[in-house]
Amino acid sequence: MNRSSSLSLWRERLFGTPFTGFVSVVLFVLIAWIAIPLIRWAVIDATWVGSTRADCVPGGACWVFIRARFGQFMYGLYPVDQRWRVDIAGIAFVLGIASVILAPQRLKLKLGLVMLVILPPLGIWLLSGGFGLRYVETREWGGLTLTLFISIYSSLIAIPLGILFALGRQSELRIIRLISVIFIEFWRGVPIIAVIFLASLLLPLILPGGIGIDRLARAVIGLGFVIAAYMAEAVRGGLQALPRGQREAATALGLNYWKATGLIVLPQALRISLPAMTNEFIALIKNTTLVLVVSILDLLGIAQASLADPNWVGMNMEAYAFSGAIYWLICFALSRWSRSLEKRRRL
Amino acid sequence: MTFRILGAVVLLAAGASVAQAQQLAPSPTLDAVKARGNLECGVHLGLPGFSFANDKGEWSGLDVDYCKALAAAVLGDANKVKYTPTSVQQRWPILQSGQVDVLSRNSTITFSRNATLGLNFQGINFYEGQTFIVRKSAGVKDAAGLDGASVCVAAGSTEEKNAADWFRERNLKVTITNFQKNDDAIAAYDAGRCDAYTAGVGALAGQRAKLKNPDDHVILTQPISNDPQGPVTRWGDERWQLIVRWVLNGTIAAEMLGVTSKNVDEMKANSKNTEVRRLLGAEGGFGAMMGLSNDWMYNAIKQVGNYGESYERNVGMGSSLKLERGQNQLWTKGGLLFTPPFQ
Repeated sequence: MNRSSSLSLWRERLFGTPFTGFVSVVLFVLIAWIAIPLIRWAVIDATWVGSTRADCVPGGACWVFIRARFGQFMYGLYPVDQRWRVDIAGIAFVLGIASVILAPQRLKLKLGLVMLVILPPLGIWLLSGGFGLRYVETREWGGLTLTLFISIYSSLIAIPLGILFALGRQSELRIIRLISVIFIEFWRGVPIIAVIFLASLLLPLILPGGIGIDRLARAVIGLGFVIAAYMAEAVRGGLQALPRGQREAATALGLNYWKATGLIVLPQALRISLPAMTNEFIALIKNTTLVLVVSILDLLGIAQASLADPNWVGMNMEAYAFSGAIYWLICFALSRWSRSLEKRRRL
Repeated sequence: MTFRILGAVVLLAAGASVAQAQQLAPSPTLDAVKARGNLECGVHLGLPGFSFANDKGEWSGLDVDYCKALAAAVLGDANKVKYTPTSVQQRWPILQSGQVDVLSRNSTITFSRNATLGLNFQGINFYEGQTFIVRKSAGVKDAAGLDGASVCVAAGSTEEKNAADWFRERNLKVTITNFQKNDDAIAAYDAGRCDAYTAGVGALAGQRAKLKNPDDHVILTQPISNDPQGPVTRWGDERWQLIVRWVLNGTIAAEMLGVTSKNVDEMKANSKNTEVRRLLGAEGGFGAMMGLSNDWMYNAIKQVGNYGESYERNVGMGSSLKLERGQNQLWTKGGLLFTPPFQ
């Protein structure tokens, strides 16, 4: 399509009839009305360089604040001289996932399983220490690091558990079906915020003093269970969309239950439920902000905490705009990635 | 004769029980703190001047300073504190379940909390109370001076009710202008739509820093409500409660007696005042009575400073909040701050 015809197509769409023309004009005015002051605040009138609040010009955004606090937004209160460990963990995860994506088709599954076994313990070791590294308590973790940590490790619990319970719900054994239904319905019925409260406040009161499960671990497990229930329902959608004939054919070929499930049913079902599972994962990333109620300083928590510094008091807009932008970037990137995955698989 | 024997027996028994009291009561919390090598302190997630992490990630503030003083007194090092930031909802459970040794988190002392939550409040390190912020140019000295003025408040807030009641009781004609949110109310005040805005002293200090010209505004020091705040402990472990209480008292006594982080060495060596000498461990063995070293308060004052120093540094004139002492001044200087004697 050449340039002029695309232009005329747009003109056709936006101003085809007097009514659509009117609606377009109203919308343009509305967008300009919102966008112009926003851009003025965030870019034109903003202060980018400096070191203190005094350097900032009133009326515009004070990005100096974000610069001064950038380390905390990324790493929380993690000891400054140990932050390289977080960097290495991040690089390891990116490289690990990239290698699986880029690997030739026949190696993908094997490499994926290897990464699944290596990466999560490696990440925990790098972040928390031990075996030669200085021990860093989870209370010192924070910022974007913690948001990603909670999201990734909760989903490591949620995805396998979700698949298992989705299969369990379809099982022919009544007791397994019952257990699965109870698990799913219980965790789906409880608000996430209540789960986090229970995990963080009630468990330590019930458990005897000596048994101290880490506060962050409790939140991650709690979140993992809730998301597992949602994942299970997403996967069930995929399982139900699959024609019965697929499993019957697999059984007819002589495959047992696990082989038929692993080789025939699940690969197809997961492909179908990928969009729904991505939805759950994006929801999970946004739900991690709820850990703020138990004072775990994730990205939003650290943004809020940094507002209490008398040197930077009143930087609410900057703190929320910046952390909001990061959340949006992550969620948007994820949704694009899942779109491209769907396209490649020709769904 | 029999009476004399009886009297001797009673005296003996009394002596024995005194001797028993001289022995230290067990303190599992203190033992745990010493074994751990650090103090677990519950603090606010972020409250300007009271508790916050600075650009370098170090905790500071008036409430945080108390944790440091306690760590210095118990462990000899003000840096041996681990902070647990707590939200409003989790502050009591986190203390009750033993995840922290003490809570120093601007929590108001009330009867029902003390009676029903299994918690004890160990003194007051900040007299919080609802007050007003006004323009300097208005020349208002106290809340009664607001007669004929207008006050911006968030509709339905406790502050609105308190202020309305207070003015009504005193037959003062004050117009209360309602806004949907606190932020709207303070913005309206900043824009000049009202003569005053109302909130707690500590909150107002933080709010003032957000105004266009903070120096043009003054916070009235005489509050219209009473919300004293201080460190909190669990029920049980009397000796730990004793330590928590007297470290706070010690920082106030130090200001009273003129002991500061700068002159503490000189005071310990040369002071003739027996109370100073007892406080700093030069005589009396007061620390040992609680199972601490005798230089417990010496360490706290040396490393953290007395109450006044801490106040000025965190919320007072040495900070960006520039809050006057007001009720948080010593009782001898017109405030409410008070400590029983070190005798």
